[in-house]
Amino acid sequence: MPTMQVFVRFNSHHSFPVDVDSSWSVLQLKEVLAARQQVPPAEIRIIFAGRELRDSFIIGECDLASHSIVHVVRGRPQLSVEAQVSSSSSQEPQSLTRVDLNPQEDGASASNTSHGAAHRHPHFFVYCKQQCKDVQPGKLRVSCATCKQGTLTLNRGPGSWDDVLLPGRIQGRCQSQGCQGTVAEFYFKCAAHPTQEEDTAAALYMIKSNTQDVPCMVCEEVSTPLILFECEDAHTSCLDCFHTYCTTRLNDRQFVQDATLGYTLPCPAECEDSLIKEVHHFRVLGDEQYERYQRFGTEECVLQMGGVLCPGRGCGAGLLPEGETRRVECVRQGAQGCGLVFCKDCLEPFHQGECRPQMEQLFGAENRIAVDPESALRSRWERESEETVRQTTKPCPNCKAPVEKNGGCMHMTCPRAQCRYEWCWLCETAWNRDCQGDHWFG
Amino acid sequence: MMASLPRRIIKETQRLTHEPVPGISAIPDEQNARYFHVDVMGPSESPFEGGTFKLELFLPEDYPMAPPKVRFMTKIYHPNIDKLGRICLDILKDKWSPALQIRTVLLSIQALLSAPNPDDPLANDVAEQWKVNESHAIETAKAWTRLYAMKS
Repeated sequence: MPTMQVFVRFNSHHSFPVDVDSSWSVLQLKEVLAARQQVPPAEIRIIFAGRELRDSFIIGECDLASHSIVHVVRGRPQLSVEAQVSSSSSQEPQSLTRVDLNPQEDGASASNTSHGAAHRHPHFFVYCKQQCKDVQPGKLRVSCATCKQGTLTLNRGPGSWDDVLLPGRIQGRCQSQGCQGTVAEFYFKCAAHPTQEEDTAAALYMIKSNTQDVPCMVCEEVSTPLILFECEDAHTSCLDCFHTYCTTRLNDRQFVQDATLGYTLPCPAECEDSLIKEVHHFRVLGDEQYERYQRFGTEECVLQMGGVLCPGRGCGAGLLPEGETRRVECVRQGAQGCGLVFCKDCLEPFHQGECRPQMEQLFGAENRIAVDPESALRSRWERESEETVRQTTKPCPNCKAPVEKNGGCMHMTCPRAQCRYEWCWLCETAWNRDCQGDHWFG
Repeated sequence: MMASLPRRIIKETQRLTHEPVPGISAIPDEQNARYFHVDVMGPSESPFEGGTFKLELFLPEDYPMAPPKVRFMTKIYHPNIDKLGRICLDILKDKWSPALQIRTVLLSIQALLSAPNPDDPLANDVAEQWKVNESHAIETAKAWTRLYAMKS
């Protein structure tokens, strides 16, 4: 008989491992625990994932994965709770592991889909950042919003993503002694491996099992899981293409800085109202690229708020200058800030009087920063890279960001999502009909 | 060679061959499956009617994240196509999306032949003609079509 180990947490205190046989009934488990704790088996209750496990349940049918944490509280099983559970569905009470939060196309309610074909597919996915560093099937767990223990039994199971993601929608009753909690708090874990209690994972609700064998809109391969965009056409893409799409857009800084949603992307077909609302989906970029994504997002946010990014080498701190003065100081605060004092308008070291013409400034021979010995050592290389920038880029006439032209015509669009100024590479002015007709391609 | 091609390109190629778009043919090069020899028939009731225009279409490495590169090989008198055959079409640039395909690009080019847009010109002199003296411009376009796009 297959055995497995579960962790038993007694009265919300210590937890200890117990070897259980999946053919056992819950009552048999209670007997083992009762002997260990020296209490009568009839006076303990076992709670797992939002429901009380009844004596007659078979452990192997309770969706207890190895190393799951079950909660044990003192007290007699409450008939009222049992009655609620048994009346809410068929003989087998619904387990959180089998809840399908995705609306079914045939109109069947979510709670009826725990049997049959849909059961073979994972219903929800998470990004596991602790171990797998990948998208994995997730498991849904619940705790009491008051005492944070997993001792809450649910009045009803969640039926939609909103039930799970929006706080306070599902009620229950906390069975911990002394806790009067009634509100459920859902969270997700990676289902690919045993998890510690604190190993929660972000739910990626746009990622779904490809139960309809829909081909990816980009590569046309049929694969599972896929990502379903929230556009009217319900476009889908495979995760590989979504990854490529995000990386391409990130490299070109073509994400959109939305005031409410943050730094995000629309459906690859650019459908209306299709911006990704849960930015954890960009976790699929992997740790390194996700960090870059966060940095770019912060920078765009600072710029959108009217701030500036410190031009000091390797600094880039976001600053929100106050008042009308052009003088901005990148104040040193602990590990942050480089001390550079610069002009808000031209991003050169601060100066009296008007800013010099742009090209001269950007690549002027003067020192850009107060030289310290270390950066002086690197100056040769820096000058070379500055030369590269000078040869391959021109400043956007609107926002002054150096823009590289890596092919194509003379019609430039500033790659900064907040700028998007259309200009001519040759004239360095706004794109106009003369440019279009006379030297579109140079 | 074909095995290393992304499935999307293989499928698009198959569809272009087996379900061709009326008035358009796109045949992959024998040496390079990312390079297509394209023929577009001049749309009826346009100055390009009766002509067959040769184009080249290349799928860059990052296709479909980046748009295909397309160019007219046959000389054409059109305000949005310059004398080197380069095309002024938004979906070939910033309006590109990976949801678009070779098929949609070629259809858009065919539509551009039906509806020249002299207000967003590439060939300024042609556009000027098109605006100042449209009937004369259309005559020139017809003449160029007979001259360059029809087999004698």
